[in-house]
Amino acid sequence: MQAQARTPTNVVKSRLPLTFVALLVLVVACVHERNSRPVTAEPPTSPPASAPVATTPPPQPEAGVTARAPEPAPSETNAPTAPPPTPAAQPPPAAQPPPATARTRPTNPPVTPRAPATSPIPAASAAVAASSSPSHPVAAAPALDLKGLEQRLRDTNAIGLFTKLSLKNQVADLLVHFNASHHGQSRNTLQQLRQKYEVLLMKVVTLLQDGDPALASTVLSSREAIWGILTDPKRLAAV
Amino acid sequence: MPVRPTVFFVLALLGPIGPAAAQSPSPGQDLKAAIALQGFPCDQVVDSKRNADSDYTATCKDGNRYHVYVDAAGRVVVKKL
Repeated sequence: MQAQARTPTNVVKSRLPLTFVALLVLVVACVHERNSRPVTAEPPTSPPASAPVATTPPPQPEAGVTARAPEPAPSETNAPTAPPPTPAAQPPPAAQPPPATARTRPTNPPVTPRAPATSPIPAASAAVAASSSPSHPVAAAPALDLKGLEQRLRDTNAIGLFTKLSLKNQVADLLVHFNASHHGQSRNTLQQLRQKYEVLLMKVVTLLQDGDPALASTVLSSREAIWGILTDPKRLAAV
Repeated sequence: MPVRPTVFFVLALLGPIGPAAAQSPSPGQDLKAAIALQGFPCDQVVDSKRNADSDYTATCKDGNRYHVYVDAAGRVVVKKL
């Protein structure tokens, strides 16, 4: 019985499972490599600009892991990483936090993939926000392009012709009231004129907000600037 | 992987909706807004008859009828009929 078990055929039969297991492990290893390679191949296609930066730092054994991090970074990590710096930057300029965040976001994407670089960014953005916050209101006043706004109102498709003509008439009536007030010929007080102005502005914004929300927000944001022109006789005469 | 092409395809299909939504309002909507701007009640214009250039007779859903026209001075006039 033992002599028969030691025959070459029996030896091969006994070792066959071992070789099969070894081949199976080899196949699994190859399949695992194939599954992991496409993932590593994605990052160079999506961020072509940052490819040289991403290829140099990561070591080869962990290329599959480190390459996954830069891939979502341009699209997904912008949103999560941007908010943390902004709350830190918001408290100092309490008056105008949204402009500060809007300015810092475009600068973040190239830098956010680098984890250690996130700490200097809030400081830099906070410095930019703090330095720009006092100058922003000054820049907002001359930013009002009355001619451009008027042209946009003329060109918009959100309002029909009758409606545009009605609004134009009401604006002209309001300007007559303001001119009369500046010349001392009107009974309306400044508060009453302000109320009329607000009502007319709300009409315009209401008409625009569905068809042309961008123009509606522009009109709404330039409310105080337009009021400044209306209450200044010299500037109103220039218009 | 197939998500991105699908998203782009859907966005490409939805793209023309934006300019279509930005089209000018219908004459009924325009008349309704003009009537409302003059302070008259009109929830919806259900019928409008064109009398001449910039001259309409509008019938609102609540039964009110208005004569909407532009006078010689270029002002929109709304008269209740």
